Formats: sequence, C-alpha cells, structure tokens
Amino acid sequence: MTTAKITNPSIVLQLDGLTKKIGGKAIVDGLSFDIAKGEVVGLLGPNGAGKTTTMRMIVGLIGMTEGDVRICGQSIRTSFEQAIRHVGGIIENPEFYPYMSGYDNLKQYQRMTAGVTDARIAEVTKLVGMQDALGKKVKAYSLGMRQRLGIAQALLHEPKLLILDEPTNGLDPAGIKEMREYLKQIAEAEGIAILVSSHLLSEIELMCSRVIVIQEGKLVTVRSLGEAESTKQKVLSISMQVGNAGQALEVINRMEGIMAAQSDSFTNKITFELQQDQIPGLVASLAAEGVAIYRIEEVRATLEEEFMKLTGGNRIA
Amino acid sequence: MRNFTGLLINEWLKLSKKKSFFVAYAILAVVFGIMGYAFYEIQPDGLTSTVDFATGTIMLQAAGQLVPVLAVLAAAGSVTQEYRYGTIKFLLIRAQSRHKILASKYIVMVVYTLTLVLTTAALAVAAGYIVYGGGSGESTWTDFLGNIASLAVYSIVFVTMTFMIGILTKSNGASIGIGIFSMMAGSLLVMLLSRYTITKYLLFANTDLSVYRSDAVPIEGMTLVFSIVILLVYMALFLSVSFAVFKKRDIA
Repeated sequence: MTTAKITNPSIVLQLDGLTKKIGGKAIVDGLSFDIAKGEVVGLLGPNGAGKTTTMRMIVGLIGMTEGDVRICGQSIRTSFEQAIRHVGGIIENPEFYPYMSGYDNLKQYQRMTAGVTDARIAEVTKLVGMQDALGKKVKAYSLGMRQRLGIAQALLHEPKLLILDEPTNGLDPAGIKEMREYLKQIAEAEGIAILVSSHLLSEIELMCSRVIVIQEGKLVTVRSLGEAESTKQKVLSISMQVGNAGQALEVINRMEGIMAAQSDSFTNKITFELQQDQIPGLVASLAAEGVAIYRIEEVRATLEEEFMKLTGGNRIA
Repeated sequence: MRNFTGLLINEWLKLSKKKSFFVAYAILAVVFGIMGYAFYEIQPDGLTSTVDFATGTIMLQAAGQLVPVLAVLAAAGSVTQEYRYGTIKFLLIRAQSRHKILASKYIVMVVYTLTLVLTTAALAVAAGYIVYGGGSGESTWTDFLGNIASLAVYSIVFVTMTFMIGILTKSNGASIGIGIFSMMAGSLLVMLLSRYTITKYLLFANTDLSVYRSDAVPIEGMTLVFSIVILLVYMALFLSVSFAVFKKRDIA
C-alpha cells in the first residue's frame, strides 16, 4: 500500500479504499472520503451498515483488511502514534474508571499524552461545564455528565479531528441540544473537523454541513446540507393554502418563472417552485385579485425522507 | 521515557485507587497475626527462633501460598477490567503503542506482586520477633532469603500466566479460575505423572524452586539451573503470546 500525498493541506481525515473483511464477508467495502478542517460531517447508514466498524478503524481499534486511513497525512496503519495524536474520540458510550473521580480520570489521559497541561484540563472541563463535578467519583455521574466528561477527554490533547459515535445516545432533549451547541462551537472556534454518527437524523441535519451515507459497507452518497446556495436566488418549493385554488392558479400561471404549479381544488392547496425574491410579488398579485391566503409554507425534503429513499426504507432500524 | 513513566503511574493508580487494594495487605496482616498467636499458644517443636518462624511461615506450603493467590487475583483484572469498564477504547486511542501500554500493565503487576512478597516477609519477621524475640534455631537468614526468592519466582510465574489468560479470555472470572486452579492442580498433576521423565518439562514441576534447598527434587535429574531455564522459556512464551495477541486484537 503506497501512501499517497495529500494535495490539499486542509484535509484532516482521508479514507482511501478502506475495507474490512471478516470471514470473507466485507463489513466495510472500499470506502473513500475526505474531511477538511472545521467541517462537521455526519456518517449515516442503517444498522449494520458498518458505521461503527468504520469509526473504529479510523481510530485504530480495529485493524483494516485493505486501504488506509490518513490523519493529517499520517497513516493510522503504519505510523499509528503520529496519526492518532491528532484524534480525539468517543466510540459508543464514554466509559471511565468508576472508582476514580472525574479529575483522576482526566489525569490518566493527561499522563498518556505529552504536552497536556493542568491548565488545559481546567480549560476543557470549563468548556463542558464540569468544573463543579470534577471531584466526584464517576460512578456517581449521570449519563449526561459522563457524556460531557467524554467530550472533555476527547478534547484534552487539542486534536484536529473528533470521531464521535452516537454522541447523543441516552441524552435527554436538553442534553442533545447542549451537545450540538458544543460541537458546532468547537468546530467553528477551534477549526476541529468532526465526524459524527447518530441514528437521530434530525440531529445530524442540524449539526452537520455534509452527510456521508453508507450501506452494507459501501458509500451510497455524499450530500451537502443547506447554506451553500445564496438564499435569494435559491429555488424554493412552496405550498400555499388559499381560499380558491382555481383562481390562485390562474394568477400564478400568468406570472413568469414559476414552475410546476399544481392545485388541489378539494383542499385548496397549491404547490409550485419559484425563487425567493419572487414571493412578495406573487403575494401582492394574489391579494390584488382577491385571493385569500391562509398559509405559505416551504416544502423541504427532510434528510429522513432522503435517507429512506437512498437506503430503501424497510432496511432502516 | 517520561511518557512510559506516566503509563506506569497510571497503572499503579488503577490498582491503588480501588478500595479493595488494601484488603490484600490487610488479609496478610491478619493471617500473620493469627499465626503468631497460634505459635505462641502451641509452641510447636523444632521452631525456636524468629528466623525459624519467618522461614517456615513464608513457605508456599504455609501462609506463603496466599501471596500468589492474591497476586493472581490482581493480575487477572489488569487487562480484563479495561474490557469490563469499557475503558479499553479510551486507553488504546492515545499516542501510545499497544506494546507500551501492555508492558506498563505487566511491569506494574510484577511490582505489585513484589510488594506482596516483601510485605509477607516483613510481617513474618515482625510476628516471629514478637513471639520468639530473636532466639537461635536451625534456620538461617540465608534460608529465609532463599524462601523469599522462591515465593517471588513462583508468584511471578503464575501472575504472568494469568496475565496472558486475561488477554486471551477477556474474562476476569475465567482468568482467576484458571490461574488458581492450575496453581492447585499443577502440583497434583506433577505428583501423578512423576514416573514419566517428560513431566520435568511441565511448568508446574519447576515453579517451586525451594525444593532445591531441601534436596526433595520432584523428578530425578532436575537441577536448579534446569528449572530456571524451563521457567524462562515458559515466561517468554506467555509474554510473546500476550503481546502478539494484544497487538493484533480488534476491539469490537
């Protein structure tokens, strides 16, 4: 296996034909993708698609059959220590030595990595809001507190890449929101790249700038989420609830640049596509014609719907 | 190197921060307290000095047997507890090679075993001094030191074996069970098979080096050097298997 040079220096994680075979069966099959600095990328797939196996291979917990994983240009396979020093991770639940305090647990990981100061421990515990609970034994922690301590240990050595497998598992809605805020903040403020898997698709949608969908160990699609296009020029899919659908449709058909107008005279709902800056004009025209408008909504395909389409809905667990 | 010291400190803290850490030492203290009192009451024949008492009690056939048992209990947990707690995932995603991590675990286990041996020796001398107040008897300090060395060797051999079983099985209970069972059954097996010369190559025929002080050699033709070589071969085997398996294993 030759180590290809990374051309783009902002690439933090590079998977190159990553393959894991167990007993002749490919669990992960020729997976390749890159993650750049500051990107938050979601790894999606039905249960058994190979998400956890992929993440465990990235951090070297599981050996790879073929291919390579490079972190900041260093191969996890041939120069493990140089590569892994840039990675912080939580693989499945964050587990600690229950009979030690949170502080003693963090000290364990401080001693394992050169250059982690006591000030850094204080900094990360403050970031995750654990400074008051640090003296307590971990066995007395709630799951939410363990998750925060897990994030703290992952950030301790100032990694360039975070690998998070189901980081919101077992958290309550407030905890999930908080976790999401941390992760976004970390990615923006410190420029850390994050690869995150979760079965909560709406979470991924709120957190990530890009998703990678895998199924049966193979890459299905890579898709950017929102933000990329300028919103003014963006073509929106709009659904409108009006008093008289037939009349409204006539008005809409007279206007230029509005596509695929459909009406349902029974529910008085019309759907069409147009650019955002056309909306005020349309509303004014409709009002001038005396069409009552009850509701204007954007119709968005959710990540979930798309995910179902891509992976075949019945396979989702 | 500074990093490796950190790993050793970590492993020692994982042992010593447990509440059960002091239990092992407390058990030894209680046992020697009871033995001292019993000897004081009964006044057995042939034991007339502190050195006699200390040399006799730390033998594997006496209170000394506790040391390898306590050491095996700890050695079984060294790797298996990391699996049980799930901390193995955090442990192995640091900028440390698996070999270094395992080496730190093994070294700390050997150090812990030696603290048990030395505690036992100190307790034996202390209890013996309280009961006999010095005195003169058959045993010499050389005998005593010889028994300490035998106890240490015996314990470390079984610690090494249990350490390997822990890595292979990932189960604390299984490792303790196999470790202690082989300690008990091993010498029995050697006795049963003692008429075959091949038995002398068995690990269990060579673990107790104190036999060479009393000429009660288990099988004809065995010498101290022979046993030491056999033990070294077995230790090398156990450690090679441990390191090879730990390095390769997928943490699923």
